[in-house]
Amino acid sequence: MWKKFRHWLDVRIGLDAIIQTQVIDYRIPKNTNIFYTLGFLAVIAYIVQAFTGIVLLIYYVPHPDYAFSSVQETIMTKVPYGWLFREMHTVGSNLLILVAMLHMTTVFLMGNYKRPRELTWLGGVLMLILTVVFGFSGYLLPWNQLSYWATTVVTSMPTAFPYIGEPIARILRGGDHVTGITLSRFFALHVAILPPLFLTLVGIHLFLINRTGISATPFGKADEERRPLTEYKRKSYPEGYPYYPSFFQKQMYMMMAYFAIMFFIITFLPTLYFPDAVNVPADPLKTPLEIKPAWYLLAPYQLMKLIPNKFFGITLQLILLVVFLIWPFLDTQEEKNVMKRPILRGVFLFLLAAWIVLLYWGRS
Amino acid sequence: MRYLIISALMLFMLPSWGTAGYKQEFESEFMTKTWAGVQVEENVCISCHASDRMKPEYREITEAWQASWHAQNSISCENCHGGDSKDAALAMSRERGFVGSPQPKNVPEFCGKCHIAIVTNFLESGHGKALMSGHKAPNCVTCHGSHNIQKASISIISEQLCTKCHTYERAKVMKQALFLTENKIEELEKNLDALKREGIYPVTDERNLFSTQAEFRALFHTVDVSLVKDRTDEFTSRLDKIDNNIQTTDRELKFRKNFAAFLMLTFAGMGIVVFLLNQSKE
Amino acid sequence: MKRRRFLKVILAFLGSITVFSFVFSILKFLTALPTRSADVQKLVVRKSEIPSGEAMNIIFQNAPAVLVNRPDKGFIAFLRTCTHLGCLVEFSKSRQKLICPCHAGTYDLDGSVESGPPPKPLTTIPLKIEGDTIIIG
Repeated sequence: MWKKFRHWLDVRIGLDAIIQTQVIDYRIPKNTNIFYTLGFLAVIAYIVQAFTGIVLLIYYVPHPDYAFSSVQETIMTKVPYGWLFREMHTVGSNLLILVAMLHMTTVFLMGNYKRPRELTWLGGVLMLILTVVFGFSGYLLPWNQLSYWATTVVTSMPTAFPYIGEPIARILRGGDHVTGITLSRFFALHVAILPPLFLTLVGIHLFLINRTGISATPFGKADEERRPLTEYKRKSYPEGYPYYPSFFQKQMYMMMAYFAIMFFIITFLPTLYFPDAVNVPADPLKTPLEIKPAWYLLAPYQLMKLIPNKFFGITLQLILLVVFLIWPFLDTQEEKNVMKRPILRGVFLFLLAAWIVLLYWGRS
Repeated sequence: MRYLIISALMLFMLPSWGTAGYKQEFESEFMTKTWAGVQVEENVCISCHASDRMKPEYREITEAWQASWHAQNSISCENCHGGDSKDAALAMSRERGFVGSPQPKNVPEFCGKCHIAIVTNFLESGHGKALMSGHKAPNCVTCHGSHNIQKASISIISEQLCTKCHTYERAKVMKQALFLTENKIEELEKNLDALKREGIYPVTDERNLFSTQAEFRALFHTVDVSLVKDRTDEFTSRLDKIDNNIQTTDRELKFRKNFAAFLMLTFAGMGIVVFLLNQSKE
Repeated sequence: MKRRRFLKVILAFLGSITVFSFVFSILKFLTALPTRSADVQKLVVRKSEIPSGEAMNIIFQNAPAVLVNRPDKGFIAFLRTCTHLGCLVEFSKSRQKLICPCHAGTYDLDGSVESGPPPKPLTTIPLKIEGDTIIIG
């Protein structure tokens, strides 16, 4: 039965040839490690978000008078298993950002952004930015005290720019304060504008990976890429191991681990991403004692608090971001092995430590 | 070249850290702006009465009010005293409804502008009747204070307070009659709060609890012990209904935890199996 | 080989349990509609029981409610729960309003808030008038 169906498809789209090249003959270099599965994991995490998000969309009402009760009363209390999808969505959003960051860090450390993979890196950084925008637009939607005030703080950060700052902040908020207009725009952003943008970037990213071939890490002996490359050649590894079942199994294993962690948090740490302020409806007249953005924005937030001049604070962050974005064009050295590049290692470790320190500092 | 850029960036960041101390400026610049429109509205009553030119006794009033339950619920001067809280010239004008501070006899009417049910019962009580006929009697302020009014609780009925006019015996009997019901209400309040922390939003139960509590307290103001005792059963059954709902919700929460744990175990199990499959091939 | 088969069977088993749990949850999620108790309990009152300008307290589906005979606009029914903190509002014949005894929230006879702390109007209960009877619900 199955064979007949496959044959039917094969006559129409050449399925057998696709399976042959993409699955059976697709070989992965021998010296890859578990971190190579992180990209796939990020895609899975994103699919989970999309899926749970659509489920939540069925009952959510994006109006300030009804948003909180549609989440808290309807989804969390009244609808069966609504709590499951809401908690998966919230925990999942934090895990997604964590996975994306880990993926970028490992790609960076293994030098897999170098020629000819600069465009892949570029797409990746843009996707990270989009993911953070996803996070911060979604943060407002439950319309609780935490959402409202964290959004107030974050949308005020552009005002650090001299002339264009205020207009930017006003466009973001739809006015001078966070109101129902802000909610509508963030909802449109989160549900309708960002998804197709993100999907386009993912599509391009996956296409590029397939087209250029997997990059071998520089840590092993086999299959070092020869540099510099002056003409197109898809990298292939005839002596590598087949994608299916070996690498595929690694990916499945990571996916199970991801879900196990997600449900571990939901079972044993249910208040981790649900502090008390989440359960209080937004009150524009009462500012809670501690307003902080989400953890992934704490380091930039803390950095802005430290730098005396607001303008420099935000410009510095933008400069860092742009450097991050065009890094493959700045770092054109042939050496991929980070263990042989002490300066880069030092700078990286310093920035990582600074980021973590700022994060913890921003929490207090 | 690239290392020059990196080092320049590092040098840039270091002195910025040294000049930390701008947290305050950041917070005062960002946090107290009028984000939410009416957040820090100017109340002229408070501006005058809290200023240095005011007599110390008057300044104490604003401090006392700031600490009160009224203040936490955004009830301020003009809600009780009338007047215009936005216009300094007309702040205490009769035209704007300013009534000043009430005489002891008029205090129930003053507070009864909002607390209708309580005043109705109070005026029918021994305390109320004594007050209205000019005898030495308590009014609202006697037990609750005037500006630093806190959330009412059974501890207001105390030996110290009630023996100002008569023996504590009667008050003690009343306190005993109220005790169990008040305790139950407090317990239910705590349980509802705990539920809210878990993300459940028990709106109907919260409202029922509040209205039961309000009715019970209004009843107390008649200071009629037999009436309270007679109706205690009625109140207890209302509270029991709320308790049942809370228990049902507790069971639901337990089910949720178990369900999530079950899913965690299936995924962990699958992870282990895939791992083993992985190993056995190679 | 036997071990691999065994492992694959376990994987299929666990996998199907997981998929089934999620499918089950989604189905319950999508098909949970509010209980159609509207069909179950309707209250019938005779028009003649409430003169014009007066009101009657009733219990509708276990909730306290009030049926008002407005002099100009006819009958209307509300749930008596005040939208502020939940106390039960009372009909004032003299003032022709619904007043909450806890914090003096005042509603007019259309249910909208006239003064005081309530944030939203009173919840109305639909009713039908057939001849001399009023059917609430």
